[in-house]
Amino acid sequence: MAGAALTLVAVSACGRSGATASATGDDTLTLSIGNAHTGWDLASAALGDNIQYYEPVFDSLVRLDPEARPHPNLATSWSYDRDRTALTMRLRKDVRFTDGTALDATAVRKSLLHTKEGTNEAAGKLRAIDSVEVVNPRTVVLHLSAPDPQLVANLGDPSGMIASPGDLTAKGGPVGSGPYVLDKAATTNGSTYAFTRNPDYWNPKAYPFDKIVIKNVSDPTARLNALLSGQVDWARITPQTARYAKGHGLGVRAHADSVEGLYIWDRTGRTVPALGKVKVRQALNHAFDRKTIVEKLNLGYATATSQLATAGSTWYEKSLESNYAYDPAKARRLLAEAGYPHGFTVTMPDVSSVAPGQQVVMVQALEDIGIKVKVDKIPFTRLFTALQSGEYPMSWFKLQSGQPWDFIQSELTRGAAWNPAKDFDPKLNRMIDKAQRARGGAQTAAFRAINSYLQDNAFNAPWDVLDAVQGNSKRIKVTPRAFVSAVPISNMAPAG
Amino acid sequence: MLTFLVRRVTAGLVLLYVLATAAFAMMSLTGADAARNIAGTMATSEQIAAKRHQLGLDRPWIGQYGQWLTHAVRGDFGTSWFGGDSVSESLVLKAPVSLSIVVSGLLLATVLSAVLGVAAAVRRGWLDRVVQATAIVGYAVPSFLMALLLSATLAVQLGWLPATGYVPLASSPSDWLRSITLPAVSLAIGAIAATAQQVRGSVIDVLRQDFVRTLRSRGLSERRVLFRYVLRNAAPPALTVLSLQFISLVGGAVVIEKVFGLPGVGSAAVTATINGDTPLVMGVVVYLVLIVVAVNLLVDLAYGWLNPKVRVR
Repeated sequence: MAGAALTLVAVSACGRSGATASATGDDTLTLSIGNAHTGWDLASAALGDNIQYYEPVFDSLVRLDPEARPHPNLATSWSYDRDRTALTMRLRKDVRFTDGTALDATAVRKSLLHTKEGTNEAAGKLRAIDSVEVVNPRTVVLHLSAPDPQLVANLGDPSGMIASPGDLTAKGGPVGSGPYVLDKAATTNGSTYAFTRNPDYWNPKAYPFDKIVIKNVSDPTARLNALLSGQVDWARITPQTARYAKGHGLGVRAHADSVEGLYIWDRTGRTVPALGKVKVRQALNHAFDRKTIVEKLNLGYATATSQLATAGSTWYEKSLESNYAYDPAKARRLLAEAGYPHGFTVTMPDVSSVAPGQQVVMVQALEDIGIKVKVDKIPFTRLFTALQSGEYPMSWFKLQSGQPWDFIQSELTRGAAWNPAKDFDPKLNRMIDKAQRARGGAQTAAFRAINSYLQDNAFNAPWDVLDAVQGNSKRIKVTPRAFVSAVPISNMAPAG
Repeated sequence: MLTFLVRRVTAGLVLLYVLATAAFAMMSLTGADAARNIAGTMATSEQIAAKRHQLGLDRPWIGQYGQWLTHAVRGDFGTSWFGGDSVSESLVLKAPVSLSIVVSGLLLATVLSAVLGVAAAVRRGWLDRVVQATAIVGYAVPSFLMALLLSATLAVQLGWLPATGYVPLASSPSDWLRSITLPAVSLAIGAIAATAQQVRGSVIDVLRQDFVRTLRSRGLSERRVLFRYVLRNAAPPALTVLSLQFISLVGGAVVIEKVFGLPGVGSAAVTATINGDTPLVMGVVVYLVLIVVAVNLLVDLAYGWLNPKVRVR
């Protein structure tokens, strides 16, 4: 859900002053999260914004820095074997779960396998794990069915968080070894979650606040009002309200999040034969005025791009940034060369409930190059299912692209959730296979080659990288982390 | 009176059954794929299929409904597919939030609409015109817009009241009152406008009737005529409007809870419907229908008390 969550556009209410003092005291950090909590069982854990729910109570095997590079945490060191299918991790001593159980290799094994058996996003990131071997109480080996270039980094999120073997399903509430414990008396399931310090936590310096309060507020205007009135210290806000928030004394931060644009789901031309032709897909890439979309629709909280990689990821190529310039005449020429001088007709889902401006711009741009668009009314509740099942040949959409292996897993492999056509490109598959097994610089080069190949073959028609925009009170300082919409709680500290 | 009560309760139970069945059928027709929503956007088709099987969504809807119904009649509404909380426990936590703002809004609407309606009918002149004009504006402005305006001015700008959140009555009565004031006022304004107009019209009608003239000619004071006779006769139509307004307030609470970030039944209903969380949606439906049936029953009883002829219908 969180990975590619579509966020509703908020319209700001008006107001004048912005209180910035915390309503809950200096040692309390209060956050507001738009996503509903999916329960404490890590097998049900979602990622994205949901990460903040789990971080206070569960510690992870590795810790990710702002660039999303892994550092020691519960695992003090790690190394791969020659084939990169066995990951050996050494574990920290003297860590205990809050039920008194010691954290050892057996606990890690049970917790990881339990999460892997789940059906949510955290489980999906552990797909490559075949088995977990306990070598000794301090050493565990993760045996993989195939190399997973992203596995270690994924162990810094709920996928790599460790729950006590005494209550893996968290029936009695979360039992972890994290920096805080759930304060059940001050918690109302579904709305407010309060956490107090875990006195036995090994690394309290990483978490300077004595108390954490997380409020689930789904409405973006309500979140903004809570920020403006000083009821919360941090919340996701929208580009439409960012300037207003800044003008009223709040800190506003934005970092690259998801790639927005025209997603071409039917690249094989199964339902719309024209889309099977590279020149047609390239024509679609020349149809959009990306700069104007960034400035007018996204109010500058985006970066125009024509590649699928976000800046900072290992497969990002600056030289690919501005290919496919806005050129409707060239688009029409390419369509003619592909055998479609008068364009073609395509049915697309109505996305006006989540991206009204984008829908208008997209339809106009496509009609400008001769493509007739039939907009199919569809309830928002059916949109994801319809797109994933290949019901529509193309649509406006946005997806997090993050690091290359995550992208490949979610959009390119045959079983990928966002590869509805299940298209099979032997050349691309060979490139993916090569990148999966390569190391170091060779792996980076292989991923960049894939990025280049995707652009040359116009897999999609990206417009921009949208920002995740957040507001915070001036009493805290916030450092975002790359490739995730939420900011980890360990990246928040008192401003003083 | 007992037969009257039994008939009304039976009708309420039939209504509950029909609406619950319709709601369950509609949940399966909306196309919201709960399994996919739970598994997340990155889940593979195998993961989604496993989740669908786990939730029983791969069975015909009539079988799913039969299972839900047999549990529900025993008071077991199952667990939410998202979060895994017990639906009954969840409603016990959320119902006080919604009831706080709806009942407070209704009380506010009852008192203010009675005062304004009677004052306008009795005094007429400029006061009547002001009440009528204000009522039209109050009725025309949607409650969510009123909520946004009140929140932006009184909470965010002036800081007089909290912009979001709910404090339970048991934790702190004063903070509870502060937390529900703006939502309740936002909800009540439309109801005040509609009911005040109805009270005004009814009072004017009754004041024109012959028996009022007779009462006055017998030397009864204006105050006694108004409070003892006129209001009792003018009350039934106003009560009808008020009961309809209550249902409208319950519906309005859905939006108001979102605007003020209140963890009530309304906001749970919206989220659960979007996600396709059938157990929670069904719990909410049963809860809402029971409330509406109970209120209608109370209104019927009040009618019967005001006018004994109603009881024999």
